[in-house]
Amino acid sequence: MDTLLRVQRFEPTVDRAPKTQEYSVPFRDGMTVLDAILYVKDYVDHSLAVRFSCRQASCGSCGMKINGVPRLACYTQVADVGGREVTVSPMDNFPIVRDLVTDLTGFFEKHKEVIPHVVRRDSAEMESPTSDYLMKPEDLERILQFTYCIKCGLCTSSCPTVATDSLYPGPQALAQAYRYTMDVRDEGGAERFKVLDSAHGVFRCHYAGSCSAVCPKGVDPALGIQLLKRHVMSAKPPRGPGEGARTSKP
Amino acid sequence: MDGRETASNKRGVMGWLNPRHYNLERWAYVFQRVTGVGILMYVLGHIGDTSFFVGGPFGSGPDPGTWALDLSFTENLVGHLILATTVVIVVFHGLNGLRLIMAEYGIIFQKPSKIEYPYQAKGLRGLQKHMIWAAIVLAIVAGLWAGGILFG
Ligand code: SF4
Ligand code: FES
Repeated sequence: MDTLLRVQRFEPTVDRAPKTQEYSVPFRDGMTVLDAILYVKDYVDHSLAVRFSCRQASCGSCGMKINGVPRLACYTQVADVGGREVTVSPMDNFPIVRDLVTDLTGFFEKHKEVIPHVVRRDSAEMESPTSDYLMKPEDLERILQFTYCIKCGLCTSSCPTVATDSLYPGPQALAQAYRYTMDVRDEGGAERFKVLDSAHGVFRCHYAGSCSAVCPKGVDPALGIQLLKRHVMSAKPPRGPGEGARTSKP
Repeated sequence: MDGRETASNKRGVMGWLNPRHYNLERWAYVFQRVTGVGILMYVLGHIGDTSFFVGGPFGSGPDPGTWALDLSFTENLVGHLILATTVVIVVFHGLNGLRLIMAEYGIIFQKPSKIEYPYQAKGLRGLQKHMIWAAIVLAIVAGLWAGGILFG
């Protein structure tokens, strides 16, 4: 049996509009959508542009729309999305570089905006810690799922607010804002809240939840964002300067 | 072309309006927006309508005749359907709005915890999901009740 692979092709510097090209790919058990695309690239049409690296849902490079839903191509088996016909197109809401490759630069900038690291009042200590900063297992569990983010961009691609608001940080960045704000070692909540409590901040999320529905790593950005709102609303970060946990002595 | 190296692929307003392929919460999001616009239109119409009666057709003051004329516009199949639909959308919008407020306060979610494979997002489970279904069912029941009165 062959799989009919429909690929959206688009070279912005040359083409006026995207077009769809069809390829026939020999089906085999366990074949992922990325395998099918790479078959085309290797044996049929070398000009097809696709980004990938790890092939194991770890690097976050191969995000694209598969039959209309944002997914990782390396983590989606052809058999699980119908088998006979698969349509792939670039992720929504990201600029298209070429074919299935999108530009994630702005997405990473948004990630940086929310200060995605533990912040301590003592910056010298932050750069060169003199001891371990330990966490209790229950404190870790509270943020663990949010640490699994691989920055694939699927959540941002599915988000209806991102679709119209270019200044909105998006679900990935907001989930990370929650992850670091709730980290017991962090003292940077107040700084982060300046970004979050703005006209384009956390309250632009209206809980459509598609970010959590498409996230391949169980990060659940919608949950993190709703929980973050309560803290931003109270204008009181969980910890102020000097209140971050430090459980081992130098 | 014009020297662009990338092409925008923003969904724009269609990103709001098209919940196809997505979760129940995304559908509720779309209905919340659409019903919000519907309610706004109803309220504006209602204000215009009432001021027409209070001010009289040509500013001659309240007049029962004008009120009767005004009501006659709704006393037909289309008018009744619009009113019954208004009841449906107001009830849905109100109840789903309550769910959204509770979500913003974080009071309808289980705490984040260690996740097990296959992942099931906590943000899309539990009480909030039951509340969407409750809003849908109660909106339909209210619409049927209003229809019973209007057409009865
Ligand atoms: S939250 Fe999930 S979908 Fe979003 S970037 Fe991280 S891993 Fe990808
Ligand atoms: S290739 Fe790394 S996540 Fe798919």
